[in-house]
Amino acid sequence: MVETATDRKLEGTVKTGDRNQFRGQKGLQDLVLDANLCTGCGACIGLCPYFRSYRGKTVALFPCTLMTGRCFDFCPKVEVDLDNLSEKFFGRSYDGNPLGSYQTVMISRADEKVGSAAFQAGGTVSAIIYFALKKGYLDGAVLTDRDGLLPIPRFVTNPEDVFTCVSSKYSAAPTLSALNQGIRDGFTQIGVVATPCQVLSTALMRSNPLDDKAFVDPTGLIIGLFCTWALDFRPFEKFVSDRVDIKNITKVDIPPPPSDMMEIYLRGGQKIEIPLEEIRPLVLEGCSYCADMTAEFSDISVGVLEGQPDMNTLIIRTERGRKIVNEAQKEGYLVISDMPAKNLEHLQSAAGNKKRRAVIKAKQEGILSAKILEKITRRSHVISD
Amino acid sequence: MSFLTDNREGIQHLLMGNEAIARGALEAGVNVASGYPGTPSSEIIETLARVSGERNLYVEWSTNEKVALEVAAAASFAKLRSLCAMKQVGMNVASDFLLHLALCGTRGGMVVVTCDDPGALSSSNEGESRHFARMFEIPLLEPGDFQEAKNMAKWAFELSEEIRNVVIVRSVTRVSHASGNVKLGRLSQTQRHAEFKYDDDALETYEGPAESTPVGHKHTLQQEKIKKVAEIFEESPFNTYHGPEKPELLIITSSVCNLYTKEAINLLGVEERVGLLKLGTTWPLPPKLLKRYLSTTDKIMIVEEVLPFLEENIKILAAEQAKEIGAKTFYGKNDGSIPSVGELNPDLVVLALSKILSTGYMAMPSEYKKRFQDSSFVVVPDRGRTFCPGCPHRASFWSIHNALQMDNRKGFVCGDIGCYAMGRLSCGFNTTKTLHAMGSGTGLASGFGKLAKFGMDQPVLAVCGDSTFFHAVMPALVNAVHHNSNITLVVLDNSGTAMTGFQPHPGLTVNAMGEEAPAIDIAKVCEAMGAVVEIRDPFDLEGTRNTLNRLIEKEEGVKVFILRQGCALSPEKRHAKEYDMRIDEALCLGEDCGCNRLCTRIFQCPGLIWDREKNRAMIDEVLCVGCGVCSSICPAEAIKKEEVA
Amino acid sequence: MGKTQLSKDPYNMVVTGVGGQGNVMASRVLSNMLIRNGYYVTVGETFGASQRGGSVMSHIRVSAQSVWSPQIPKGRADLIVSLEPVEAIRVLEIYGNQKVKTLTNTRPIYPVGVISGELDYPSIEEIKASVKNLSPTAWFIDATDQAIKLGNPVLGNIIMIGAMSGMGELPLYREDFKEVILDSLPEGNLNVNLKAFDIGASMLRKQDGAVFDVS
Repeated sequence: MVETATDRKLEGTVKTGDRNQFRGQKGLQDLVLDANLCTGCGACIGLCPYFRSYRGKTVALFPCTLMTGRCFDFCPKVEVDLDNLSEKFFGRSYDGNPLGSYQTVMISRADEKVGSAAFQAGGTVSAIIYFALKKGYLDGAVLTDRDGLLPIPRFVTNPEDVFTCVSSKYSAAPTLSALNQGIRDGFTQIGVVATPCQVLSTALMRSNPLDDKAFVDPTGLIIGLFCTWALDFRPFEKFVSDRVDIKNITKVDIPPPPSDMMEIYLRGGQKIEIPLEEIRPLVLEGCSYCADMTAEFSDISVGVLEGQPDMNTLIIRTERGRKIVNEAQKEGYLVISDMPAKNLEHLQSAAGNKKRRAVIKAKQEGILSAKILEKITRRSHVISD
Repeated sequence: MSFLTDNREGIQHLLMGNEAIARGALEAGVNVASGYPGTPSSEIIETLARVSGERNLYVEWSTNEKVALEVAAAASFAKLRSLCAMKQVGMNVASDFLLHLALCGTRGGMVVVTCDDPGALSSSNEGESRHFARMFEIPLLEPGDFQEAKNMAKWAFELSEEIRNVVIVRSVTRVSHASGNVKLGRLSQTQRHAEFKYDDDALETYEGPAESTPVGHKHTLQQEKIKKVAEIFEESPFNTYHGPEKPELLIITSSVCNLYTKEAINLLGVEERVGLLKLGTTWPLPPKLLKRYLSTTDKIMIVEEVLPFLEENIKILAAEQAKEIGAKTFYGKNDGSIPSVGELNPDLVVLALSKILSTGYMAMPSEYKKRFQDSSFVVVPDRGRTFCPGCPHRASFWSIHNALQMDNRKGFVCGDIGCYAMGRLSCGFNTTKTLHAMGSGTGLASGFGKLAKFGMDQPVLAVCGDSTFFHAVMPALVNAVHHNSNITLVVLDNSGTAMTGFQPHPGLTVNAMGEEAPAIDIAKVCEAMGAVVEIRDPFDLEGTRNTLNRLIEKEEGVKVFILRQGCALSPEKRHAKEYDMRIDEALCLGEDCGCNRLCTRIFQCPGLIWDREKNRAMIDEVLCVGCGVCSSICPAEAIKKEEVA
Repeated sequence: MGKTQLSKDPYNMVVTGVGGQGNVMASRVLSNMLIRNGYYVTVGETFGASQRGGSVMSHIRVSAQSVWSPQIPKGRADLIVSLEPVEAIRVLEIYGNQKVKTLTNTRPIYPVGVISGELDYPSIEEIKASVKNLSPTAWFIDATDQAIKLGNPVLGNIIMIGAMSGMGELPLYREDFKEVILDSLPEGNLNVNLKAFDIGASMLRKQDGAVFDVS
């Protein structure tokens, strides 16, 4: 059993038998929200009237007394059985590879049929969702729009609407609340574009942890976004609004290394740069325990490509991922080529570093038990110290 | 025939204490009556307002008790008879002017009626106002039953005119809100002409300027008056004695405690052993009368509510006369015989009396008590107070609570006086965190809102009702605006002084006498003060929550959020059902993940109940008033509303 | 003096119910009917904030001699009239005795604690058993259900007044009821109130024996 992050209460003092008593809102409150591990992914939002997201934070409005609940079982920040999920989605137990399980790693960008929108990097994600909605592979897609700096979950059914949600967001977004809404509205082939923690939650949901007899996987494609951290919205907004008028922001970007700046583009073509040094203190506490950079439980994962700002890195993990990518390429929506070996090495190293940082942090804070730390270390090729 | 217009002397009516006081005032020929609503005092002004036309009265619900007292005093200065009524907390508000008025003196007969609330049955304290009489040197009368309430109210005007000063009549909940037989006297036929004379010397208290200065001169006059009152009280028929000439125990009592004590003596059958001196004139005490009765025995018990007011004053007299009347043993508050917290009742007096007289008493035989342990005896569930079905406060607190939870910075709400004081209970989702006097919520918020420089980063909110806004919130709001305190005031505007029975206030277009009156717009007042103002219907839960979150987010200054929706009990809304409500049982999730009985477990409207057998929510057809709010909280859209045709 | 003599002086009656049920109105009507027969009547009640959704009690004391304390001493009720079933037990626990009679409306109003699930509300059978155990003469009627048939559940309290008249315990007469209603309500409402009164009166008049259950 391997965790992304878990609480000392679970591993330390709570016996396995008692754990069942906390598998509802109270467990989530004690183990995740009060322990400051929540990354505001939105997995628990929209399942019931109790959890709400407001300005990046997940809060419980009223106490729920149920002993078990989807909120707990879908949460990526409580104890997660990675072996079980890996078996289920990849047919083998979790092996600690920094990139997770995958078939191939390629590079890609949007092709002509997509048209030109203000893409971040190569526009691969928009191209694939646009294509899949247009051709009926998906009946809806969960994306993230924004209002000022605030990311807003969006459920999209019209392919053209994909382009209103193109740019990256750097603060936590309750994106999965839109997935929950889509499921409630009866969609059955939903595309989800999500960060690693959110992707992990979709994997938990798709594993049907509550053994619902009527369960059918409502997703058609899970696209994971590379992620190193997300910012706490409220302090981030304050940080930015102390420097610029938020109403004038047109785009926020962090170009791939070696750049170490956040770029904020303003109306009228002006641009200001903020060193990442200054931003890092605003990173969510929960992100510092995250050992997943590439969204390991996606169908495909997409990120920037070092040295080539107009291309994306594309990790294909599952058959349904491969199938849609191939179709998109065939029909002229996506351009794909091989990943240079040097880039792959850099990617593995970066992902491995995130894992290592998470483990060290967890060790320092006593969040993970020695037993679990040992498991992650043993299984990860990259982690040496 | 209404007791208000019935002019047949000696005819009996069943009158509430407050109605009896109003009738007494009419028999005295009262011209002007003013007050501010407050349980248990409100019916006095309400009753007089009903006959303002027929009896040619001027009656008003004033903005607050201090203004009410000033309005009544003006009438007295113009040589009319006036009455001013309030509850005990109102005396505190009015006391600033009362101190000056008592020094200045009055002209036309002027009576202040204060209705205290021992046990805080409808109050947030059980403070008593008798001490104002001693503190401000004003005569004090306390009726011991309903007939006396009428007679005393009438006589108080005569006394006031005789000594040219204001007189206090102090009632309590169990007199004001209890009813009993009252024999009527004749209604006054006297017509008075109003004129304020001020041409005489400033030292002259009757036709010169009305002032409390020069203080030395006025104070001396005031003390001469109070001496004269003590003389008058010696002969007062409101002080009565029942019992043997030389009782074993003398009980001295006043107000409704007279009836409790009479009952206790009867229950114990000790009429031959105990004497009962009932005092109706309790400040200043008549010393000769007391000397006469204190001389009859060595054991004295004093029965009164709440604090030992009579007890202490009688002890002073007894000490002064000790040489003649001998040493006494006193029973009362100070020795713990009678509790000095809460209201009394016959049983508490029986308990004290049976101990002193060493007689046995059992309220309930033990074989009957045993039945409570029988297998067939069921546990009776507590009946906690709650907002009425359809109450806008439930909706308002729902949104305020949710806004603060979502805001997630440990924001809090300063509470105030009205039904919405229950915002601290589960029916208000435990939202308010302070509760004090009228307007204090906003005053406290004004202070909390300035603590940022000491690290406080919690959002600060206050609530107040529409009537409370005019009564005492306005000065606090001015303070908050002027000092740029970062607060949000939520005005729960339900279009009336709802808790006390829909008395009009300055925000409405009608006055106490039913005449049209210019309404003062709360929103415009707040805007003029410089606050940011938003208005919404609290029944729109999500819209209200959204607006409130936006207001709380603003970092500077005073935000006023007016939530406008009429009280469910208001005459306009009562019996007017807007929606027929029903539950779609197929959609209701009940206790399942995804709901867990949000409506009945958390929202808790009495009109929406839980069917334990079906595991589904259910509308209580008798209680539901069809406001429709619950349909917007159901996550499964199982609560259906349909407009009533 | 009335045609029916008081079985005790003072005769102590508690009218209990829940805020909003028209308890105060019922005790007013009863008291005004009694005073018309020449009695001293003392009524003790509280209203205002103490009323909102909570238990509400009126104490009515009838005497040929004088007014009495507006609070009845513990264990000294002669008749308890309850507009809500568990309220009857709540009052019996304080004011009950071996001779007390009760008249109970069987329609429950659930306390918030019961609605929220924190507290249990006993079954109507349990309530009846308990009331019968504490009160040797216990009447139960479904006043609210009858009132709903008349078109307004609030008329339940008038049905209860009618039932009290049917009991024959107290000098409560239809003529007095009619005049009291005419004094206090718009004339148009008289007929439905009289109808409610008659329904209540007939529900009890027919009964005989120690425990009556016509609910």
